[in-house]
Amino acid sequence: MAVRLKTRSAVWAAVVLAIAGTTAGLSWWRASAQADVLRADPDAILRDPRLRSVALTNGKRVFDKHCAACHGPDGRGDITLGASDLTDSDTLYGTGSVAQIEEIARYGIRAGNKHGWNLAVMPAYASKVPDAAEALPPQSPAQIEDLTQYLLSFTGRTTDVSAMKRGITAYTKAGCWDCHGRDLGGDPAIGAPNLTDAVWLYGGRPEDIRRTLQRGRAGKSPAFARVLTAAELRNVAVYTASLAHPGQETK
Amino acid sequence: MSKQPPLASDPQVAIWDIHQPVGRRSMLLAAAASLIGLAIAGYGLFTAQGTRTAAVPAEDAALVNNVPILRADLIAQITALYSVPLAQTTLAQRQKVLEDMIREELYVQRGIEMGLSNDDIDVRQALVQATEGQIAQDAMTSKPAEDELATWYGSHMEKYASEGLVTLHEWLVPRGSDGQQAVAALRKGAAPASLGLKTTGRVDDGEEFYFAAEQHLGEPLFAIARKMEDGTVSAPIPMPDGLHILQMIRNKRPVTTPYAQARDQVLADFLADKVARLQAGNQRFLKKRADIKIASDLK
Repeated sequence: MAVRLKTRSAVWAAVVLAIAGTTAGLSWWRASAQADVLRADPDAILRDPRLRSVALTNGKRVFDKHCAACHGPDGRGDITLGASDLTDSDTLYGTGSVAQIEEIARYGIRAGNKHGWNLAVMPAYASKVPDAAEALPPQSPAQIEDLTQYLLSFTGRTTDVSAMKRGITAYTKAGCWDCHGRDLGGDPAIGAPNLTDAVWLYGGRPEDIRRTLQRGRAGKSPAFARVLTAAELRNVAVYTASLAHPGQETK
Repeated sequence: MSKQPPLASDPQVAIWDIHQPVGRRSMLLAAAASLIGLAIAGYGLFTAQGTRTAAVPAEDAALVNNVPILRADLIAQITALYSVPLAQTTLAQRQKVLEDMIREELYVQRGIEMGLSNDDIDVRQALVQATEGQIAQDAMTSKPAEDELATWYGSHMEKYASEGLVTLHEWLVPRGSDGQQAVAALRKGAAPASLGLKTTGRVDDGEEFYFAAEQHLGEPLFAIARKMEDGTVSAPIPMPDGLHILQMIRNKRPVTTPYAQARDQVLADFLADKVARLQAGNQRFLKKRADIKIASDLK
């Protein structure tokens, strides 16, 4: 009787110890892997299978909870909100590196944080003061149409060639070049998009372009510095980068 | 009288038999529970935010008097300074940037010790702006529900109207001429030149936005113009330089932008309003909890 009791108790104790040990081991492994994710060069994580697995698994949860509402569950964006498509190779701010995505997630865009990307907004040219920060001339309806025709020309959609030619002058006079560049290639340092490609944050139909020129744009991205932990921010940045570089792990 | 369980003769058996009350087992369990409790308390104590730690946490590059310098901030500074990816920078370059950041942190801490937030106007302004910004950040981290946005749009539709467009002429009646006769003739289709009317030159550029027409014509004349229908002629309008006549060619009044097309602007305005409300609430809260004494002559 005594031996049987001892054996049964020993078995139970072993089971409990094994469960506790496994749990503790798993927790340690996870904590250790997460710490490695935090210590690593952010842009090397996607190339390391172990770090990649940890960051993507945890990052997806953060993305679903905090980012999907605007960027969509698949990250394809929403042109009605100006939420960018995160699955293409086009980046509005910076070069799309994990470190830069993490910076945007932490400090935001026009979100009230001075570390954030707050340098420029798209002026509203159909108003008395198109830009509060810089003296720019308002544009007439005809000038806005000229600019629209000029911008449409880069994707072969111009319908009025003489308006398009006037648009070249209007582009300079309205001060567009100051942000978008003389070559219209944009400036990722301030979030000024390339105007010569077919990627449009708020839609590229003629009426969308006219509205952008007339009313201006100033999209925001929240600053999650006080909402998410350092690990969550790193993980979601890696996950977001992976949406645009799905094959990175094979490189 | 309750029945007591029998005491086991073998103490080794009794300690494993939960039906047997054994003082030694109770002591062992109490000790184990104490150890677990201490471990949990110690974990909480030594990992809580702001806790003094011997090791640098994984997310930090350094701790300066226990204030962290984030690795992410260090990386941002390194890549901004050297304009290359982190992987292409040397350890010396990284250490130099970190040294600069540590120096900055030390000076910030020293500045706080010296009470610069009380004395330095720039520090004070920066603190006010940063505190306001913090409220804005908090307000923006949750996206409002779609029905909240739609309700906001419904109650502020005038904000989402397009800018009106107007094409018109502004004629100046020659001194000594009859303004009423000129208006009657214009309404019958007479050519302005045949009536001796001259343009003021202020709205001759063709179609323009309401705001531009208002700026060119001035408020009193624009107030009349915006009510005119296409193809109509105003009554003579006395102005300091003589009688003016407005001839409306086309007046396209502002049109409300549908919700789907104004969604980005609706979201921005909704959040801006939320931030303003939160900042006002924060100010009320700060005043309420503060001990503010005002001199009697200023009450």
